[in-house]
Amino acid sequence: MAKWGMVIDLEKCTGCQACTAACQMENNRAPGESWQDVLFYTEGEYPSGTLKWFPRPCMHCENPSCVHVCPVKATYKTEEGFVLIDWNRCIGCKYCVIACPYGVRFYSDEKPLVEPDLRRIFPSGDDHAWSPPWRMPAQQEDWKHGVGISPKGVVTKCTFCYHRVSQAPKGVKDLDPADPKLRDYTPACVVTCAPTARYFGDIGDPKSNVSKLIAEKRGVRLLEQTGNKPQVYYLSGEAGAVPGSRAQKNS
Amino acid sequence: MYAPIMKRLAVNGTATTNSVLAVSGIALLVTLAATFFYLITQGHVAFNTRSEGVAWGLPIITYVFLVLTSTGLTFIASMALLFGFDDFYPVAKRCVWLAVAALVAGFTSLALELGHPFRMIWALPTGMQYVSPMFWMGVFYSLYLGFLLLKFWRMEIGDWHSGLSRALGAASFVSVVIAHATLGLVFGMMSMRPAWYSDMMPVYFLVTAALSGAAFAVFFTYLAYGFDRQAMPSGVRDLKSSSRLPNIFATLIGVTILMVVSRAITGYWTNLEGMQAVREMVASPWFQFELWAGLVLPFVLMATPRLQTEQKWQILASALVIIGLFIGRYDYMVSGQRVPLFKGAWIPGLAEYTPSLAEWMIALVAFSLVFFIYAAGEKLFNLAAAPQRESAAGAPLATT
Repeated sequence: MAKWGMVIDLEKCTGCQACTAACQMENNRAPGESWQDVLFYTEGEYPSGTLKWFPRPCMHCENPSCVHVCPVKATYKTEEGFVLIDWNRCIGCKYCVIACPYGVRFYSDEKPLVEPDLRRIFPSGDDHAWSPPWRMPAQQEDWKHGVGISPKGVVTKCTFCYHRVSQAPKGVKDLDPADPKLRDYTPACVVTCAPTARYFGDIGDPKSNVSKLIAEKRGVRLLEQTGNKPQVYYLSGEAGAVPGSRAQKNS
Repeated sequence: MYAPIMKRLAVNGTATTNSVLAVSGIALLVTLAATFFYLITQGHVAFNTRSEGVAWGLPIITYVFLVLTSTGLTFIASMALLFGFDDFYPVAKRCVWLAVAALVAGFTSLALELGHPFRMIWALPTGMQYVSPMFWMGVFYSLYLGFLLLKFWRMEIGDWHSGLSRALGAASFVSVVIAHATLGLVFGMMSMRPAWYSDMMPVYFLVTAALSGAAFAVFFTYLAYGFDRQAMPSGVRDLKSSSRLPNIFATLIGVTILMVVSRAITGYWTNLEGMQAVREMVASPWFQFELWAGLVLPFVLMATPRLQTEQKWQILASALVIIGLFIGRYDYMVSGQRVPLFKGAWIPGLAEYTPSLAEWMIALVAFSLVFFIYAAGEKLFNLAAAPQRESAAGAPLATT
């Protein structure tokens, strides 16, 4: 069974945020609810200050703290490595939001990051939190795996595009969007990435392209000290170190 | 059954109790109406909590404050019921009832904050996520509420010393010790939140829970008698007039001061990523108020032999400690969440948080509920009841 993982090459990432937009369209997220975010921050001060950016999906950790803290087992890890949320079980306690070291989780019922609140402009007449004018086909909606337009009062997050990847042919080592036969099974952020900074494949198979990239280009994981063991690896190369934090320090 | 309850509510109780019942009842209705208005028209959008910043806001802070106060009240009641300090008997039953009130109010605040509170009923037992501290917190606080109600029922029918009654007292004490420790671990086990991460968190909660329980016990005992020591039965008056209770009170405040100051110094000194919010917290006027007015001043009042037994200073100290500890819970909860981790494209520094009106309404619902349940208890039951004590010669010493 595949153990899906992602590799992001920071040398190639241009910070264009196409991944963020593609994810929002694919997964029907409200503006600001960026499952796939690109974080911007500055390092240094004038005249030598630089603008940095850092793409950050859910890490789908091997040892996910969000799964451990969920009191009702609404968040769970599948055998294929996806960390998902069952929206039919989630009680909306937000403990997983607290416990995720990477800050990848969102509560579906809070003030919008971006005004106006599109959820009020496109209200839903049923259990859904809203009814956006763009949406995936209804048959793909799958609340048990946190896919689709979420209900109110639950936590949401990146699914590694579970609705696409879980349909991939068995035995495939890498989901390469350049291959027309595999494109539809590849996560939206990987498909859309113009500089091809993203790779998606079976990190449990040493012969896969993603495993080779991690080995040959010395892939690193974010916040190793937490022990969460992300299944997203970064290739930093000449792009500088993976940030240890983005909080500003007052000295 | 309905008629006798209404009769007791109408007839029993002092003027103070009637006033507390009326004011808290009106406050409860108004704040509940406001809360439901917000929740129905806006949902949790009416809160100022954010996924990219402070996700657990004032309703959760109120929950933590109240359930730990309930814990502390059980500790005070257990002084007599479990550990043989007979002079605490006159306040034991009131403390048990107040523990019920604080716990129910805390649960109410939590339920109004959750996205789907009723799902817990089936999702907790069917999930059996035994590695989650929050799962165990739910289990043990639920057990604790059950034991507490049963213990109160035994006291109400005059059974203070039977094997069953003692077992229930012990069960409620043990269950709440475990419950408060699991609540401490809900925060203390979060290694990604350095401002919380500590194996000492259950101990910190133990000490501060005992302190807030003691403060509530002192304050509400005075409230029960219209803030007039002369109106108290002899057993209660003796307890209040002796240095025993103030000494325990002062000891708990002293240990709390040590813990608060050591945390502040650690936060100020360390370079550890994630502790920046503690440094900001220490510099805030709220923290200074908590430390100096909420802890140091009450400590001086309760540790000074000339002042510690005086009614006005005991009332002032208990009120200041309650306010100080609430600020402390607020600071503790918020400072642990202000570092935004890897969230929010353009959040450069620490996340900001100010509770919204809807969140304040929920907090006020909870506090109104404490006073309402307490006052209803004063009218429905004899909360001053205590067992007959016997002298060495076998003659009754005090009856109520």
